[in-house]
Amino acid sequence: MAGEAQCLSYAGCNFLRQRLVLATLSGRPLKIRKIRAKEEDPGLRDFEASFIRLIDKLTNGSQIEINQTGTTLYYQPGLLYGGSLEHDCSPSRSIGYYLESLLCLAPFMKHPLKIVLRGVTNDQVDPSVDVLKATALPLLKRFGIDGESLEIKINRRGMPPKGGGEILFACPVRKVLQPVQFTDPGKIKRIRGTAYSVRVSPQMANRMVESARSILNKFLPDIYIYTDHMKGVSSGKSPGFGMCLTAETINGTILSAELASDPQGQGTAVLPEELGQNCAKLLLEEVYRGGCVDSTNQSLALLLMTLRQRDVSKVLLGPLSPYTIEFLRHLRSFFQIMFKIETKTPEEENIGGEKVLMTCVGIGFSNLSKSIR
Amino acid sequence: MEEKEKKKHRAKHSGPKAEKKRKRYLNDLGIGDEENARKRNPKAFTVQSAVRMARTFHRTQDLKTKKHHIPVVDRTPLEPPPVVVVVVGPPKVGKSTVIKCLIKNFTRQKLVEIRGPVTIVSGKKRRLTIIECGCDINTMIDLAKVADLVLMLIDASFGFEMETFEFLNICQVHGFPKIMGVLTHLDAFKNNKQLRKTKKKLKHRFWTEVYPGAKLFYLSGMVHGEYQKQEIHNLGRFISVMKFRPLTWQTSHPYVLADRMEELTNPEDVRINPKCDRKISLYGYLRGAHLKNKSQIHMPGVGDFTVSDVSFLPDPCALPEQQKKRSLNEKEKLVYAPLSGVGGIVYDKDAVYIDLGGSHAHEKEEEEVRPNHELVQSLISTHSAIDVKMASSKVSLFMDSRPLGSEDVGQEFVMPKEERQIDLKTGRVRRKALFEEEKENDDAVSDEEDDQEAAAMSEDGSDGDDEDDAEEDSDRELLEEEMALGRGKRLKTEVTKEEVVSELPAFADSDDDLEMSSEGEEGKTAPEENEMEEEDEQRTYKNESSDSEFEAASKRVAESKYEINSEDTEMRSQISDHSRKRKAVFTTDSGNCTAEEASESEVENSSLDEGDDEGSHDELEVEESNGKGFLHTQAKKADSIRQTKLKATEAKEDDVENLLREEEEYEEKIDFSADTIGALKWKEDLTQKAAQAFLRQQCSTPNLRKLVYGTAVEDEDHESEDAADELGGLFRVSRPDKASKQKANALDCSKFLIEKPQDWDLEEVMSSIRDCFVTGKWEDDKDAAKLLEEDEELYGDFEDLETGVVHKGKPAAEGDESGSEEEEEDGKMSKPDPEEEEKKKERMDKKRKLKEMFDAEYDEGDATYFDDLKEEMHKQAQLNRAEFEDQDDETRVQYEGFRPGMYVRIEIENVPCEFVLNFDPHYPIILGGLGNSEGNVGYVQLRLKKHRWYKKILKTRDPLILSLGWRRFQTIPMFYIEDHNGRHRLLKYTPQHMHCGATFWGPITPQGTGLLAVQSVSGTTPDFRIAATGVVLDLDKSITIVKKLKLTGFPFKIFKNTCFIKGMFNSQLEVAKFEGAAIRTVSGIRGQIKKALRTPVGAFRATFEDKLLMSDIVFVRTWYPVSIPTFYNPVTSLLKPAGEKDSWSGMKTTGQLRHERGIKLKQNKDSLYKPIVREKRHFNKLHIPKALQKALPFKNKPKNLEKKGKTPKDQWRPAVIREPHEKKISALLSALSTVNNYKIKKAKVKHREHLKEYLKVKQKEDEQKFKRQKEAKKKIFRILGQREKKRQKSSLKGSSKGEKSM
Repeated sequence: MAGEAQCLSYAGCNFLRQRLVLATLSGRPLKIRKIRAKEEDPGLRDFEASFIRLIDKLTNGSQIEINQTGTTLYYQPGLLYGGSLEHDCSPSRSIGYYLESLLCLAPFMKHPLKIVLRGVTNDQVDPSVDVLKATALPLLKRFGIDGESLEIKINRRGMPPKGGGEILFACPVRKVLQPVQFTDPGKIKRIRGTAYSVRVSPQMANRMVESARSILNKFLPDIYIYTDHMKGVSSGKSPGFGMCLTAETINGTILSAELASDPQGQGTAVLPEELGQNCAKLLLEEVYRGGCVDSTNQSLALLLMTLRQRDVSKVLLGPLSPYTIEFLRHLRSFFQIMFKIETKTPEEENIGGEKVLMTCVGIGFSNLSKSIR
Repeated sequence: MEEKEKKKHRAKHSGPKAEKKRKRYLNDLGIGDEENARKRNPKAFTVQSAVRMARTFHRTQDLKTKKHHIPVVDRTPLEPPPVVVVVVGPPKVGKSTVIKCLIKNFTRQKLVEIRGPVTIVSGKKRRLTIIECGCDINTMIDLAKVADLVLMLIDASFGFEMETFEFLNICQVHGFPKIMGVLTHLDAFKNNKQLRKTKKKLKHRFWTEVYPGAKLFYLSGMVHGEYQKQEIHNLGRFISVMKFRPLTWQTSHPYVLADRMEELTNPEDVRINPKCDRKISLYGYLRGAHLKNKSQIHMPGVGDFTVSDVSFLPDPCALPEQQKKRSLNEKEKLVYAPLSGVGGIVYDKDAVYIDLGGSHAHEKEEEEVRPNHELVQSLISTHSAIDVKMASSKVSLFMDSRPLGSEDVGQEFVMPKEERQIDLKTGRVRRKALFEEEKENDDAVSDEEDDQEAAAMSEDGSDGDDEDDAEEDSDRELLEEEMALGRGKRLKTEVTKEEVVSELPAFADSDDDLEMSSEGEEGKTAPEENEMEEEDEQRTYKNESSDSEFEAASKRVAESKYEINSEDTEMRSQISDHSRKRKAVFTTDSGNCTAEEASESEVENSSLDEGDDEGSHDELEVEESNGKGFLHTQAKKADSIRQTKLKATEAKEDDVENLLREEEEYEEKIDFSADTIGALKWKEDLTQKAAQAFLRQQCSTPNLRKLVYGTAVEDEDHESEDAADELGGLFRVSRPDKASKQKANALDCSKFLIEKPQDWDLEEVMSSIRDCFVTGKWEDDKDAAKLLEEDEELYGDFEDLETGVVHKGKPAAEGDESGSEEEEEDGKMSKPDPEEEEKKKERMDKKRKLKEMFDAEYDEGDATYFDDLKEEMHKQAQLNRAEFEDQDDETRVQYEGFRPGMYVRIEIENVPCEFVLNFDPHYPIILGGLGNSEGNVGYVQLRLKKHRWYKKILKTRDPLILSLGWRRFQTIPMFYIEDHNGRHRLLKYTPQHMHCGATFWGPITPQGTGLLAVQSVSGTTPDFRIAATGVVLDLDKSITIVKKLKLTGFPFKIFKNTCFIKGMFNSQLEVAKFEGAAIRTVSGIRGQIKKALRTPVGAFRATFEDKLLMSDIVFVRTWYPVSIPTFYNPVTSLLKPAGEKDSWSGMKTTGQLRHERGIKLKQNKDSLYKPIVREKRHFNKLHIPKALQKALPFKNKPKNLEKKGKTPKDQWRPAVIREPHEKKISALLSALSTVNNYKIKKAKVKHREHLKEYLKVKQKEDEQKFKRQKEAKKKIFRILGQREKKRQKSSLKGSSKGEKSM
């Protein structure tokens, strides 16, 4: 009788990560059909396969079935196990792709997670490790997941296409999460950032910093952008440079923006000045959107709100990203939870665009993997 | 007499009066109370010892903190569900009597037979659900899990019985509810002293089980078969003021103690296959936590199910509306017990039943118990007949309840229409309004609507007609007279009911309503369209639902329509004809029809109604083909044809609108976006909006909720089939059709890309975020400068003492005027009066803020961590309550789920037919909600202890019935104990008086949940039935229990400490796996496995710390992982036939089977105990080699060598006796030999000396020779070296020359 939780079924490989993560957390089996069924190269890509392998490493007793062509995936989740792990990520997506999901799962393991991920640390598609380190970790801390062991450490930087980066992600385990009422973003008090360059002239970083400051200084004097030039082994296998910026408010909200150079041999060469300026503008755009959580971490915040005791949590967000909207739908189908969504037009002028107030009652989640003695 | 009255005064020596007197006396003396003592003798109260003081302080603090509980968020709803009172006790102790007396006490009503839970209103703020618990252990376990209060009845004349203790133990495991003991049968004691003694004894025993001071009630005796009124009254008062502690399991899981069950299976299915799975609906108050739709539940005794639908109903036993008075009036003393056939109104999703066994209907007859009883009985019988008849016939059911329809009853009718209803009150209001409206302006309300109604009615009615049968007719005849009166009225109410249905927004559209209200412009034209759609909804619902009552009801309504409205009867018949056909189509369609299809058909219908006769005839045909065709394309074609026709024939506005809408739908099929019911304008906008989806998202305000969750909340079932459709919405990203197909395989990235960045060089754009930074403008209440200013206003007047300048505070008005521009603008905009008010408000706010700040500062001093935590929890609780308070239940239910305290109806599908067939209301039906992944199975680790009162110990691999969480199930546990190194070693049996671990395969349940084990749930045994108790420690998908496995081998060749051993392994590979493993002989010589030998197979070389004997046995100790049988078998006791429900038996133990079948265990001979016969061991004599003997010191030398044995006679040798001559010869010879010996010895010594000398000389010579040689060598090497040097030099020169030459 038991063990017959309804299998959820989806078509297409989009939002694969969300689905797998939510299936794991909710314990419901999942079936995904028609993965690139109509394309010339059907089935799962290498980065997706790598992600599935990672999930397999993290869990105990999960059952994964993929058909011959790789167009159908069946996933019966096990219990999250954790422990010390290593994983070689596919260089076609950056580590951020994997890390985002790990951030969702890590607090609910049996043993604290300590994982070494190898691959591309910064690219143009996914949120880079730097950004996640600067934004997601403080967010986790807000939910009571903190301690010394919560860290992301960048050992090596790897740029696309070849990668060669390495990071260490460690996260403690929690049984329940703390309540969160996160409705006042506050005003931005400082801007920090990192300009990194590997296997190119170290001067690039300085040039980026200079140009970014020129824009941001119009708003705020407290700007400090670190330059990070990695050499030797820690510089990965491909050249590249980029920048990520974070704006921190007096209430601890962190908004972020980032930009990376085109990978070697693809696209046109980018001037570091231009990149710096664009990145600064992106940050301003993000500030315009506003909210208490930046646009990349919206879904993480919503997930953690969902996985709470049966209490009301609130968070103020900027406009919902398509990813988040899909995430909300998935949350409803996996956890039967609906968010109260209210649009808040800012009362005063000059503090950016419209905000969205998300309210939900937690589902009374508790970490079933963690053992008691 | 006189003398007697003159009693001597006796001064009081005890009691309050005496105390007072003494105090006064002492005060007079000056040695009064404690305070004075402190003053009088301060030395006695000084600190004597700092250490002791510290200790006492420590102790008091310890005691104080011990009282603390971990603060938890108070999640009790504002209107809590009834308190579950479980009356438990052994048979014949008076349980039902107590319940009856309590009910009578609270409601002034006598219940004769009680089946299932009875809900009563016991006070202004409290309701009780009383339920009786028999001594079936299944029932006891189930009810202990849902009980808030347990009334534990104890037969005082007998003493405690096993059931009592069993129940107490069950309670302990599953969270301890409040327990109140009730002693009955106290009138059996004739001796007063004996009575007192017994009371005391029982009380103390009870206290040890519950807690010291637990309340124990005494019901002293019976009067006319009832307990004494006053005693029951007291008991009732105790119950109604009792406070309850929150129990972890109960507060974290939703649960329902069902008080009504109904079957909804399609009767046709039952007819075809009487054993088919059933669809049922269960009713009850929701308790514990929020219940979400489509969540998983467990029914103890039946199994796991997924809730197919939940809806909340108006409270059948509502608390009185708040009014300030002390007691309830008679009308508010409600009782509700549908299973016992008692209760006023019974609400269903689509019908209302009224029972006349209500509290006041028969007050006059109260003296005569019998008639009342009979009536109730008859009602019960009819009710039970409902269940039965529902399966067979559709109509008869309603007939039964029809006689109840009277004028009053009609008013009571409230239609709980769709799944999501508005609450009772609003429902009433709406109904009335509509009814009048219909009456007053039949014409004003568009005819179309009305006719639609009729069409809908007639459709169903005709459907019902088809199924008319004889049985129904006979029923009708019987009841005809009774219903004759109420009929007309009733029918009308039914009509209004329908109206309500149509008027109330179905869930899907309620969203749209919301949207419309938010976007004002569209609201105007909405209602009409809205109604259309709702009609659709309703109709589709009807077609899908197999609810017989509803159809029957509507049928009757239809009939009435015929009677009342006699116009256009012909046309109507046509319509009904048509609809009948359509109906058939629909049934074949079996709910596959989408809303769209339905709406099309609906429009067709309506157009028919209004259309000319000619047109309608033609269209009928078209439609029939349409309905049959079913393919979208076909349908569309037909539609278009029809549309054109209609255009030709019709000129009415409504229809034009319809048409337009149709057309639009047609268009929108491409983008199945938000098929909303906005006005035309809005619809036109839609395309533009869709085109600019992204821009809109950033700048305009779309209804986000709709955007995210779509217009209709789709069924989960559909989700799987068309995941693409689920993406439906206004949003471009999730457009289902072509776009979504690409989207489904698009890049999975969480970044929110900016497609159209703003130009941040522009000043305007830059200023739009200027205030996001600390450098920007601050809000008034946070701006430091502003705050300072405000402060000045309040405490402005001060004098700077140093400079002597006197500062004056500004008048408030000035300050405001000098505020920012914005404020000024605001001021201009608003009129002077509001301005004043605003100022006043501001001032008040300011004051409040200051006060808060002061309070916070002041209170901060003694706030402990505990207080802070409590405060935090309190705040959270308040937020939880406040957040959704202002929303109506419809929307609220979506966000938080159904909240506890609601009366809900839960639909469940695929219930085994036995549950319905063998339904017995005496057994409680509980629906326990399951948390996330609690429906899954895995390995569960427990800490377990055999119960100290259980007679036997438990054996590993014997099936055991566990009660864990909501469930009762049989499984096969394995017991283990944790070794010091963390190894889980298998145990064959549980230890006697110790905890041990256990692992089994079963449902995943959160850690820390208590559990209980019994060996069987069937029958009763005189012994204590609870075998073990425990708690869940860990959940996993793999296990680590190991058992010891010893492999033995025998030496076949022994060297010194090396040995060749065989017989332990079977192949070289096996040996290779164990290389380096520690091995041991039985005698304790330790060793190690070295390497495999080639022959014999599986033999190996091993080294030991000592030499082995051939007779030694060598063994290696290994740990072998144990597999746990994946056996999980829920106890399905509720599926057993009535009367056998306590006889469930699952898998039997091998012991039981052997016992039953008389199979004797074949004993292994080796494991039999028999006298040990030990052979006398023969050890060889210790042999000491001669050389060793010689070297030994004398004391260790073997001295008394064994005497030589006697030589046998035949081996005796004859003694030799020499002649004198011979003697002489031998003497001479010996003398000669002695001389010779001496000579040889001498020569030897001499030779040795010579040799020594020679060696000396030789050595000397050698030394000299060596010296000479050395010198010679030196010379030669020197020469050689010089020559070499020379040569090198010359060669170097030559090379340098060569180089130069080069």
